Amino acid sequence: MLFDDVDFSALTLPAEAQALRREVRTFLAAELASGRIVPHLGHAQFDREFSRRVGARGWIGMTWPRQFGGAERSYLERFVVTEEMLAVSAPCAAHWFGDRQTGPSLLRHGSEAQKRRFLPAIARGESPFALGMSEPGNGSDLASVRTRAVKVDGGWRVSGQKVWTSWAHLAEHFFCLCRTSPEEGDRHLGLSQLIVDLHATGVTVRPIRFMSGAHHFNEVFLDEVFVPDDMVLGEVGAGWRQVTSELALERSGPERFMTTFPLLIELVRRLGGTADRRARQVVGQLTARFHALRRMSLAIAFEFTRGASQRTMRDLGTEASLVKDLGTFYERDITEAARLLVDIEPRPDAEDTFERYLAECIYTTPVGTIRGGTTQVLRTIIARKLLGAAGSA
Amino acid sequence: MSEDDDIRSLLVDTAQRIFRDHCSQRTVEAAKRDGWSPELWEIVQQAQLPLVSIPEEKCGAGGSVSDLAAVLRVAGRHSAPLPLAETGLLAAWMLAASGLNVPPGPLAAAFQRTEGELRLEPVADSWRLSGELKRVPWASIASRLVVLVRGGDCDRVATVDPGRCTIARGVNLAWEPRDDVRFERIALRADEVVHAGRGVTIEAFYRRGALARALLMAGALDRALERSIEHARTRVQFGRAIGRFQAIQQEIARFGAEVAAAAAAALSAAGEVERGDGELAVACAKIRVGEAAATGSAIAHQIHAAIGVTEEFALHHSTLRLQAWRSEYGSETYWGERLGQRILDAGAERLWPLLTDSA
Repeated sequence: MLFDDVDFSALTLPAEAQALRREVRTFLAAELASGRIVPHLGHAQFDREFSRRVGARGWIGMTWPRQFGGAERSYLERFVVTEEMLAVSAPCAAHWFGDRQTGPSLLRHGSEAQKRRFLPAIARGESPFALGMSEPGNGSDLASVRTRAVKVDGGWRVSGQKVWTSWAHLAEHFFCLCRTSPEEGDRHLGLSQLIVDLHATGVTVRPIRFMSGAHHFNEVFLDEVFVPDDMVLGEVGAGWRQVTSELALERSGPERFMTTFPLLIELVRRLGGTADRRARQVVGQLTARFHALRRMSLAIAFEFTRGASQRTMRDLGTEASLVKDLGTFYERDITEAARLLVDIEPRPDAEDTFERYLAECIYTTPVGTIRGGTTQVLRTIIARKLLGAAGSA
Repeated sequence: MSEDDDIRSLLVDTAQRIFRDHCSQRTVEAAKRDGWSPELWEIVQQAQLPLVSIPEEKCGAGGSVSDLAAVLRVAGRHSAPLPLAETGLLAAWMLAASGLNVPPGPLAAAFQRTEGELRLEPVADSWRLSGELKRVPWASIASRLVVLVRGGDCDRVATVDPGRCTIARGVNLAWEPRDDVRFERIALRADEVVHAGRGVTIEAFYRRGALARALLMAGALDRALERSIEHARTRVQFGRAIGRFQAIQQEIARFGAEVAAAAAAALSAAGEVERGDGELAVACAKIRVGEAAATGSAIAHQIHAAIGVTEEFALHHSTLRLQAWRSEYGSETYWGERLGQRILDAGAERLWPLLTDSA
């Protein structure tokens, strides 16, 4: 039904992936020790210089072809780099959207010129991308976008408003999902993806402050912004198909269950040898849940690896949704366990790492089960697969 | 597909066919009274399923622990009333690893928990076994009982004819035999008591027992989910199949996620036991599958409503086994504490390497 044909007993990372893990761990230990990065939990932080250093190591776009700045390494190696970054909450926001979403989309749908222009720069950690999908009138219901592009000589004029656009104030470009032909009949048709320069005339970026006061979300206003024809991604009118394939990628990785993991590490440090029976049980349970999630996420990475070499990919979209659904609740479980086991008053200005992480996790707890597909949408997707059309339509 | 994959899928297909054709609801129901199904055992033994993972030169069927794991999951799916896990994963493993050939027939397996529980004394060139073991799975129906006995110098594996023991029958929540066995100065020949072989320890026994229950539970969860999906598709209320209501869909999705996590945890642990001691993976599996068993049984019953709690409806064969197996070979509480202790002893800096170094 789910994970059919996946042999979990045989999933072991190859030696080269484990060797890479040691390299990444050494790199991150040095970054932390020098104070060049100071981790925060909840939302990955945006740090161009850090992304450049990661790019210089060859750890961005590492599965891509060499001609486009990639390293032609496996998805398993990419998985290892990702989980090592997450285990210390490294500030990856300046390259993660490019690495995980826009890069793979460009590879699949982009023109030669687009690939040559953007991919090597993303891989160097020098071309931060944002994603413009949500709008004031659409949250989960992505197909109801109203931002409109009108054909003009040599390109398109785009007008509308995007919202919840993380890091748009610091990124260079964003992928903008918009309507390129009037809505009639199937509303999934007539959508396109345009690559919009965030510094172009007519683009206004305004902060939406998160309830902690942090600034990563934005509103992006587009007022008759000119986008040349060569900045259309893939086919005009195929935007829906292209975007939904991005979502499948976005849902499957360890970033969907590891954003509070460093708090678990700090919890173990804080409990130390004083842990009572209940604390030991809880730490054991949290470890067990992590282990199962990681094995499922790893199974999807193995499938990407197999599929990339054999050029046939099994559809594990439902399984990816499932990992995210379980994963985001797991992130919440860590936060909840930490505050119940260590009875302190959480405060955002704490100097102690455990206490600061706890406060940061409490702020972002509601976000995990919303971004990248809400719990309810994910469960609808899973139920549809399990029940089939007859039971759920 | 590699050759190993071929063997695995052949085994799984064989197991599925046998249990589908010969392990009916009536079979499972009758086993509540008889303790097991001798007819089903004959068929399963003919197909050489019980001794998968035991080397052929020790009279086993060959194959790996992961192969046997796949078979056990299918057995759990069908609530097969047989000591399949005890025979292959525990008893035959101890015998083969200790240099003995494995006898045919259903085997029970047990180990000495406390110092005073058993006494194994040398008498001339033979042995005498005394003491009592509580709640030994399948002892009353087994043809041989294989016991791991602690000794001063080394642990020993003793093979005992259950007919010579005093057995007080007991059951678990699902009416599977869990019997108290008394050994009253039972004389054992020299060849019935051997040094425990390489890797045969009480710790390893317990881990394998926990692995067995995790695998059986993963299978029982598969079945409970299948039944729930079937019910949601066909049961009509308020003019439509209940599966069309979002409230039911959300529960089915949650159930599906638990079942997937259980399979991932249990099968991963089988691989780790095959490649090493598997301590971390087995602890994780017994905890995670136990949690899935709790959530899964509750959702299954809620979706089935009243019919699901009746004796005439087969859902309880799966859910009562889930509830029973959760507690056997260590509950979530037991393994949680054991795993938590290990992690806290290792310290914060070792947590991440512990989780990632082996795989």
